[in-house]
Amino acid sequence: MPVPPPPVQVRLSVALSRIDPATAASYRSRAMTRTRPPFLDGLIASLPIVLGYFPIAFSFGVAATRAGFSAWDAFALSLVIYAGASQFLALALLSSGAPVLVAAFTLIAMNLRHVLYGPALMREAGSEAGRRHAWAWAWGLTDEVFGQALGALARGQRFSEPHMFGLGLGAYASWVAGTVVGAFAGGGALEGWPALNAGLGFMLPALFLALLLSILSRPQVPVIAVAGLVTVAGTLVLGATSGILLGMLAGAVAGLVRR
Amino acid sequence: MNWELLTVAVLAGVANWGFRALPILARMDRMAVGGWLGRFLSATGPAAIATLFVASILPALTPDLARLLPVLTGTAAVLATWIACRSVVLATLAGAVAHGLTVWLMA
Repeated sequence: MPVPPPPVQVRLSVALSRIDPATAASYRSRAMTRTRPPFLDGLIASLPIVLGYFPIAFSFGVAATRAGFSAWDAFALSLVIYAGASQFLALALLSSGAPVLVAAFTLIAMNLRHVLYGPALMREAGSEAGRRHAWAWAWGLTDEVFGQALGALARGQRFSEPHMFGLGLGAYASWVAGTVVGAFAGGGALEGWPALNAGLGFMLPALFLALLLSILSRPQVPVIAVAGLVTVAGTLVLGATSGILLGMLAGAVAGLVRR
Repeated sequence: MNWELLTVAVLAGVANWGFRALPILARMDRMAVGGWLGRFLSATGPAAIATLFVASILPALTPDLARLLPVLTGTAAVLATWIACRSVVLATLAGAVAHGLTVWLMA
């Protein structure tokens, strides 16, 4: 009668006992990393976004109360819209008396670029990637969450929906919490800590640069160069929102030409 | 509660959810396999990240040394940490710390 193979943990333990302690410790640590629950892994990966979002959301909360809206209004905007630039624009439009439909249409147009994120992410994730709960986790697919998820796939990590939930939830919670704290605390809270304020303010550019480095490869260089140059030109001539949309589209079109 | 603001928020929020979730649920990426749309979508990710980096750093690129120097040290810290550790989280945190420290030292 054939003897069944020992469990994986036993085989790993036996294998590790045959090599030197330092190498064994390193393998154990890597095995633990691999077995960390994907949701927790996603939450940990959201840390730079959490730290970057909080001060921006804080300043949004402050701006909302200064514009005459209540803390509940600020909370509702962050909870229901969950898109930074749009929310600041909503304050400006509504406090200047813009009609509801005009304001809503302007905000919707600002976020049109998000249409591309889901398909681009799922294409990198592969055809076997689960999407059963995408109706829920896709709500958290902001610029930064998309970039972080794509960077993880580029570094060889497997796509998982719990990871996306962890990544998205960390960022969303930070955004909503930052708004509420900002709305209640008022404008002076971070002004006494200019270095901390500046460091937190640099978190998102630093994150985008790190993500860019993580996906950088020779075939992507023309795409990245075209996107960057068109963003600069578009921002200088037409403004930041148009610059972002044009840069993204120009880079993606450059991807069509490169083969 | 400001009902006008809430109406705008709900309309914009529903559209945001639609932009983020519906293309995944409609399996737009599978429709695109192999064709020009597939190449377009593959390039969208790097293009988006490059665009967002440029857009976020552009306002800080001024001749004013007090604003420019922290950006340079922060950027250098991100690059150095990435080369040393290949970790997005560590590189990001190092960049923010270097930026904040430079502001503190220059104050």
